[in-house]
Amino acid sequence: MAAKELSRFPDPHEYKVPKELAGWEEMYPSHYLFAKERAAWEKSQFWYQDKIHDPEPMPPLDLIFHEAWQISLSQYTTRVFCIPPAQGIAQRMVGCYMYICAIGPPPPEIIKEKAEYFGKRVFYVFEHYDELWEKWLKKFQALGREMAALKVPEELPKYVPEDQVLPAPRGYYASYELIEAFNTLVSMMFKGWQYHFEMLNLTYLAYLMFGDVTRKLFPGISESAIGKMVAGAYVSMFRPEEELCRLSRLAASSPKVGDIIKRDVPAEKKIEELKKTEDGKKWLAELEKIKNPWFYVSCGSGWFNYEGSWVNKLDIPFSYMKSYVERLGKGEKIERSVDEISKQRDAIVAEYRKLIKTPEDKKSFEDAYKTVRSIYRYAEDHLFWVEHWFHTIWWDKIRDIGKLFVKGGMLKNVDDIFMFNRFEVPEMIEELVIGWALGEGIPLRSGYYMEKAAKRQKILAAARKWAPIQALGVPPKEIAEPFTVMLWGVTTDKVNEWLKGAGVVPEKVSEIKGFASSSGVVEGTARVLKLMEEIVTLKEGEIMVCPCSNPAWAPVFTKIKAAVTDIGGLTSHAAIVCREYGLPAVTGTGFATSVIKTGDIIKVDGDRGIVTIVKRGR
Amino acid sequence: MNYTLDFAEVNKASLPMVGGKNASLGEMLRAGIRVPPGFAVTTDSYLSFITEVGIKDKVFRILTKANPDDVTSLDSVSAEVQKLINEALIPTNIEKAIREGYYSLCDKCGVERLPVAIRSSATAEDLPTASFAGQQDTYLWIEGTDEVIRSVQKCWASLFTPRAISYRIKNNFPHEKVLISVGVQKMVNSRAAGVMFTLNPVNGDPSKVVIEGSWGLGESVVSGTVTPDKFVVDKIVLEISERTISPKHIQCVYDPEKGEVVHADVSPEIQNNVCIDDNEIKELVKIAKCIEEHYGCPEDIEWAIDKDFAFPENIFIVQSRPETVWSQRRKGPIIGSKTAYELLKEQALKSIKIRF
Repeated sequence: MAAKELSRFPDPHEYKVPKELAGWEEMYPSHYLFAKERAAWEKSQFWYQDKIHDPEPMPPLDLIFHEAWQISLSQYTTRVFCIPPAQGIAQRMVGCYMYICAIGPPPPEIIKEKAEYFGKRVFYVFEHYDELWEKWLKKFQALGREMAALKVPEELPKYVPEDQVLPAPRGYYASYELIEAFNTLVSMMFKGWQYHFEMLNLTYLAYLMFGDVTRKLFPGISESAIGKMVAGAYVSMFRPEEELCRLSRLAASSPKVGDIIKRDVPAEKKIEELKKTEDGKKWLAELEKIKNPWFYVSCGSGWFNYEGSWVNKLDIPFSYMKSYVERLGKGEKIERSVDEISKQRDAIVAEYRKLIKTPEDKKSFEDAYKTVRSIYRYAEDHLFWVEHWFHTIWWDKIRDIGKLFVKGGMLKNVDDIFMFNRFEVPEMIEELVIGWALGEGIPLRSGYYMEKAAKRQKILAAARKWAPIQALGVPPKEIAEPFTVMLWGVTTDKVNEWLKGAGVVPEKVSEIKGFASSSGVVEGTARVLKLMEEIVTLKEGEIMVCPCSNPAWAPVFTKIKAAVTDIGGLTSHAAIVCREYGLPAVTGTGFATSVIKTGDIIKVDGDRGIVTIVKRGR
Repeated sequence: MNYTLDFAEVNKASLPMVGGKNASLGEMLRAGIRVPPGFAVTTDSYLSFITEVGIKDKVFRILTKANPDDVTSLDSVSAEVQKLINEALIPTNIEKAIREGYYSLCDKCGVERLPVAIRSSATAEDLPTASFAGQQDTYLWIEGTDEVIRSVQKCWASLFTPRAISYRIKNNFPHEKVLISVGVQKMVNSRAAGVMFTLNPVNGDPSKVVIEGSWGLGESVVSGTVTPDKFVVDKIVLEISERTISPKHIQCVYDPEKGEVVHADVSPEIQNNVCIDDNEIKELVKIAKCIEEHYGCPEDIEWAIDKDFAFPENIFIVQSRPETVWSQRRKGPIIGSKTAYELLKEQALKSIKIRF
């Protein structure tokens, strides 16, 4: 194949997006575009599509999380913990898709300088991990609660309420409250994401270190075996599902409640029915108790406004509970045994340890293992608190502002607010409150905003149909950035895969490679799920093929035979859950969702990380 | 004096009597590993034979003439010695012991003229420090007393092939110190067979079992006549990380008409089929772990799957010996004693090279 001889990807400055996407550039802050003023640098870098956080075209306001992580992730590497040869990760938008770039190592003298800071700072964190984790969680929960308590005015009142004026004027009113609310939401999101990376870079570094140690001792050890030794079933990540199981058992214990839960009606109807009985009321009270935080789990990755969370898409957790109550009725067990999982993990580690010959190597292995185990919990726990709980609160608050735009006649739908980036929303707020302040009969440029929202929605729809190239620019000679290696799995093999894939016609591909994330080999019918909402179409015994999964998808794993994802390494959610359920998984394939179609018969080889399309569906 | 010993009577301590290979079979039986039944013709038999028929001194005298660097000299010395051994008449008491050993084996298996494998088992062979592997002969599908006895005699003679002579001289191994025992063992009627290592011979990874197998008898794999199917399996998580299915055109089978093992074509329908299924692979790994655990060192194991039995009773271990290459090479620590601090610092300074 000619593509094999390629040693670089298209020049990012020359790469063309489809004409249906015309106008996409104005959706994002201008510094997110490839620009002629820095062309020389941009052309010499390697930009790959961030399919982990951005598998779909980016709605403008949703970019805020990325804006926040670009700064935060990078600064921890370069200025805070100072990982010596690593630099930050830069972002660019191309036709509504995000491309990222792990910047090459700094000059040698900087590496040397950073090494000193690194030694001192990083070890403090490892040694004080437990107390730091507790402090982190407290701090983060406080921030989330503060955000939840933030008041977005429900309306711009015709006249401000009496109590804000008499006996003494408050001095600021709904106009300012609205301006401040949005600004605060933005600041808090940036702050939350500054917290987010507090220990994550180090966690990944520790994981890579442990992987390296085990590979030296056992040269052919698989990534999934390493994953099995490290990963655990941590509290927060799996708590939403545990709560579902608990509520399902509670429901099953009362025939009336169980019966209502099992009905084929929307969640809202079920709640109405439940309110009519004593047991039902009790059950609803239990649900209320755990809703915050455990139903603040995104139905997707937490990165997109349209995914929704359990708490505002109750049909999803209710449908899970329906199937749990049904399974309980058949005498099946629904919970996973966390104890059992930990025991299995310890047994696996003990067996590998036994194979190490010398006491010196044993000691190094032991030390490395203790270190990674002590800090790894953070990698899995923080995800729930930041991407799920915190984001859910934020989405709700932003929708409150969206409602005001709809009330003010500036937007048609509440969610249209997501069509404007975080620099544009303040302008809209200003126009809205100016209109309100100026008095009666002041025209707003409603048409301007509505048209813009409609146009952008069209562009995003066109972008969704487009499969942009995996990477742009010149592949690097080396990569030291822990996230790039660990999270995005960028390695020589991966880059070569991408290079090969550059000219591939999806229909002609019959084999896809990814990470062997969970062992086992099965064959079955593929179900491609690009969006969480499509989950309802999934049938028992199918093989799930999705961009990436997350904790809200957990109950799905009891139905499927195997999982294939576009993105995510061995510690991705799908990988962890599949290992626990003993289902084969191949993750980080890059383009499974564009190559495989629902109905295709595929073979998933989780031992070798290969997915074969055995037979195309109709 | 014990001229023969049933494998069941043999253990590690019997090595001077029965040689490494046979001792190891006895050990495995003791550890509950399924090996085909059989008995050892002891080194006492060999020693009594060369002593009683009066060829001993002559043999060692001839051997002093051998020049290890001269092929012609080696060939003529070897031929001379082997002729002496092969043509000597075995003393009746020894012959009787072998005959009785074979009869009772036939009895045990309920088969008259039971086909057996006859293998030499030298006392210096297969020790972790000296790989003499493959330097003595193996005779397969031997049936009937006379053939058994003749093959035992040939095994004794095979102690003096040109290669073995030269090897011992070059490694300063006195010929007099190497004794030979012979194993007589029921043939496995094998559907597929091969070898396995309790570490990956490619990189020394101790967490892997590497299995190679092909259709028919294991000889095709051992001798390298076919490219076998290859599986690399993790001992602990039991993942099959590598699975190479090769076209296996030829197999070694026993031809009863010719009375010997021949190369036969494999029928085209199964040439490209995998020769063992995943259950058999996992069972082999279980056995390999058990053998390694038993000996406390990496092992090189020959296995066979018998057509006449059902899984898992169909899996037999034909022999096992210590793995020599990596156990020699790998003595010291690989990483050394390092603290997590040092390891992390190393990791932090590392970068991944991307090659094209």
